[in-house]
Amino acid sequence: MMPPRAGANNGSRHFDLDQIWDDLRQGIEQVYARRGMSKPRYMELYTHVYNYCTSVHQQGGAGPGGNTRAAANRPTRARPTGTGASNHNSGAQFVGQELYKRLKEFLNDYLNQLTKTGGDMMGEQVLQFYTKQWEEYRFSSKVLNGVCAYLNRYDPLQSQGHWVRRECDEGRTNVYEIYQLTLVTWKETLFEKLHQQVTNAVLALIERERNGETINTTLISGVIGSYVELGIEEEDTTLNGSLMSSTTTTPTAPPAPSRTGPHLGTYKNHFENQFLAATQNFYAKESVEFIGQNPVTEYMKKAEQRLTEEHNRVEKYLHDSTLNTLMKACETVLIQNQLDTLHTEFQNLLQHEKKDDLGRMYQLVARLEDALGDMKNFLEAHICTQGLNALDELGESAQSDPKTYVTTILEVHKNYHALVLTAFKNDSGFVAALDKACGKFINNNAITKAVQSTQKSPELLARYCDLLLKKTNKNPEDQEMEDTLNQVMVVFKYLEDKDVFQKFYSKMLANRLVSHMSASDEAESSMIGKLKHACGFEYTSKLQRMYQDIGLSKDLNDEFKQWMTTNEATAAAAGTATPSSTSSSSPSNLDFQIQVLSSGSWPFTQCVEFALPSELEQSVNKFNEFYNGKHSGRKLSWLYNRSKGDITTNCFKNKYIFQASTFQMAVLLMFNSNDSYRVSELADATRLKMDILVQVLQILLKVKLLLLPAGESEDDLTEGSVVSLFKEYKNKKLRVNINVPLKAEIKQEQEQTHQVIEEDRKLLIQAAIVRIMKMRKVHKHQQLVAEVLTQLSARFNPRVPMIKKCIDILIEKEYLERSATDRDSYSYLA
Amino acid sequence: MATLLKLQSNDGLQLEVEREVIFCSQMIKTMIQDLPANDDDDDVIPLPNVCGEILKKVVEWAVHHKDDAPPSEEEEAEKSTDNLSTWDSEFLKVDQATLFELILAANYLDIKGLLDSSCKLVASMIKGKTPQEIRTTFNIRNDFTQSEEEQIRKENEWCEEK
Repeated sequence: MMPPRAGANNGSRHFDLDQIWDDLRQGIEQVYARRGMSKPRYMELYTHVYNYCTSVHQQGGAGPGGNTRAAANRPTRARPTGTGASNHNSGAQFVGQELYKRLKEFLNDYLNQLTKTGGDMMGEQVLQFYTKQWEEYRFSSKVLNGVCAYLNRYDPLQSQGHWVRRECDEGRTNVYEIYQLTLVTWKETLFEKLHQQVTNAVLALIERERNGETINTTLISGVIGSYVELGIEEEDTTLNGSLMSSTTTTPTAPPAPSRTGPHLGTYKNHFENQFLAATQNFYAKESVEFIGQNPVTEYMKKAEQRLTEEHNRVEKYLHDSTLNTLMKACETVLIQNQLDTLHTEFQNLLQHEKKDDLGRMYQLVARLEDALGDMKNFLEAHICTQGLNALDELGESAQSDPKTYVTTILEVHKNYHALVLTAFKNDSGFVAALDKACGKFINNNAITKAVQSTQKSPELLARYCDLLLKKTNKNPEDQEMEDTLNQVMVVFKYLEDKDVFQKFYSKMLANRLVSHMSASDEAESSMIGKLKHACGFEYTSKLQRMYQDIGLSKDLNDEFKQWMTTNEATAAAAGTATPSSTSSSSPSNLDFQIQVLSSGSWPFTQCVEFALPSELEQSVNKFNEFYNGKHSGRKLSWLYNRSKGDITTNCFKNKYIFQASTFQMAVLLMFNSNDSYRVSELADATRLKMDILVQVLQILLKVKLLLLPAGESEDDLTEGSVVSLFKEYKNKKLRVNINVPLKAEIKQEQEQTHQVIEEDRKLLIQAAIVRIMKMRKVHKHQQLVAEVLTQLSARFNPRVPMIKKCIDILIEKEYLERSATDRDSYSYLA
Repeated sequence: MATLLKLQSNDGLQLEVEREVIFCSQMIKTMIQDLPANDDDDDVIPLPNVCGEILKKVVEWAVHHKDDAPPSEEEEAEKSTDNLSTWDSEFLKVDQATLFELILAANYLDIKGLLDSSCKLVASMIKGKTPQEIRTTFNIRNDFTQSEEEQIRKENEWCEEK
């Protein structure tokens, strides 16, 4: 190998520390004095350090592990490839130590001097001093770090010059890269002496800001930045629970990548803890004073504002990691400690419907964990009371006024639904409170109590539906109808006895369909769709079948008409049955409409005894013939009590057309042959039972088509009473509807409905019991009851005695038996 | 326009180099970034440990590599066993003294890429050679005594190929 050119390489020269230290120290002093430094001067200093570190020393053997053999044991370290003159390298790896020591001494001296200057300062003055010195010190230290870069450097191909790095790798805890050294020295000297003064000054400044003064926040952010950066050398153990913060990069990242990331121990111990305590003191005092002199609503505004302020404070000049703890501390003092006061006020606000304040209170209390429970309960109780009061005020009239009843319920619901939505942000807990309250007052209120039945609500709701869907002259527009039906569903959701609703609804739907009174097909099917959506296919299957039957019947009528015309030729018109006195009419040109209803789906009871007038018999027989030809094996039962017809009169001055029930027709047709009858004669002819016949007659008497002898009242008709046709009958209208439903029928129907419901419930309960037992085989009584209750709660709430009764029925029917060993259990018999 | 920096070797050679090009020297980069910008920013940067001939080589290397992407950590690990790029091996075809000084300059200026390449070349000169061959290659005197050498051989017996 050729020797290096003289002067181009200093590897063979010796640089003792003393040789360079004077100049180096002067340079460093220049750096810390903040006198500008030129690049040539910087290069001079760098080269000093470089030359010192790379030159080979004779005197370094004093360090630990300082002999050749020990060095040879380190596989990463090659023997230096220096020239023969300097193969004696035993101290080379410790070459940095002395320089490092001197640097530290220099920093110590410098900082102790500074500390003296700042020692007596207080308040803003000490902050000015601290932040200014810190900024300058950091800056200078970066330059120093650059100058000493060679001391820091790791260089795998050279054994020299990476003293710091190696010491660090070997776990020496008190050796740092130069920049860190400057930080640690700052902390050990200046910070150690002044931190309490500085922290106090910061806290005082923050308090002044809280009291409304404008302060110089850069002073605080400067101090905070310094505290955070001073955490740099701490071990991971100081990291307790602040892992998050250790990953966030601070704005004051050191120039050299540090071995350990920034830790916040210094910040937490010397600032944050004291800050949190001061904050709590401040607000504890403030909140008590404020609430003593101001209404609670004002206090909430204040608290809200304070919380925002503190939030901004962290963003403006504190470390991010403080946010959560600070907010929690403030929430404890500002909200948690005032919870009782807030609760009292909550009920006030509800009473006066102060939505904004309620919303504010919700926002505040929602910040705490699990603190909303009481508010939910208050709300539930309040809504329930409001609902009960509103219904109570309606008085008894509401029992027969479904519209008022339902709209009153809806108003209460709408009001509080809006409140929950806006003020309580649709919080699921508050929604549940609303639902619970509605469920309570809808199923149990003054009106249901008056009739002693929770079944009143479903009945009234079904009646309300009927009002909406029945053809009247003020049916709402499509869109409005849809909205109203949606409202109905709101109430429906809360009904306990959904089966009762179903029964009444189907009854009224049947009436609407049979008498063609539906306002719109669209609305009907939309409503059925909604019920199906809410309760499932089974719930509405009968309703849907009814709807279908009506459609099918339309086709059937057309077919029947065709059948009649084709039969016309063969079966010559020989009809004698002529309604009223239109003698020329034959059965075939009698306009005849039928509806075939499948008996399982419709809530109609079989016909009472009745003899069809001969005038109509022909048509009925024809249809029977037609239908039996079409479907063999089906039996048609005629619902005469549901039938009706138009009857034209020729016996009065004007030609009137009466819309009459079949029963009325039967009676009126009698008067074709005679002007007066005894009631008993009419009964014989029509075969109607007396009570029904009496009612039919009463109506006819009332509309003045028939007459009683003078002095007799229509209220005490007997078999012997004589009724005669009133030939002077007059009416302004030529078309008169005399088909008024019979009173007894209505009453009977209602009672029947309730009975049917009870029966159906028994069946539903039994079915549920069997389902459960089939699965469980053996089951305890208590558990069985509980399971039945949960299975059926979507439809109605079964009463426990009823369940017990059903169990007994099933035991009797030998579906179940009491377990021989355990009296409390049942087993399933397959 | 790119800022130019004036570099000066210890024998008075001045070269003007684009800032970004010579920033491959971590040392110079740190200095420029840490020193506050002065008005007399056309300070010459003296490099007392580098002679003109070597400075030219260094700048030549830097200009060629100015657009290199900073190697990721994985690449860095791989690179240690990679072959030199053609350009680098051509560039490093110099006498041993120059190579040695290039290594020193790269170390002084903290130019990692150049240091890696040049050291790799030296490593390839050692690879597969007996101690005596290595001594010949680098002109090294054997300063072990007979017994010392025996001792070392014994200690390292385990890694000899049998």
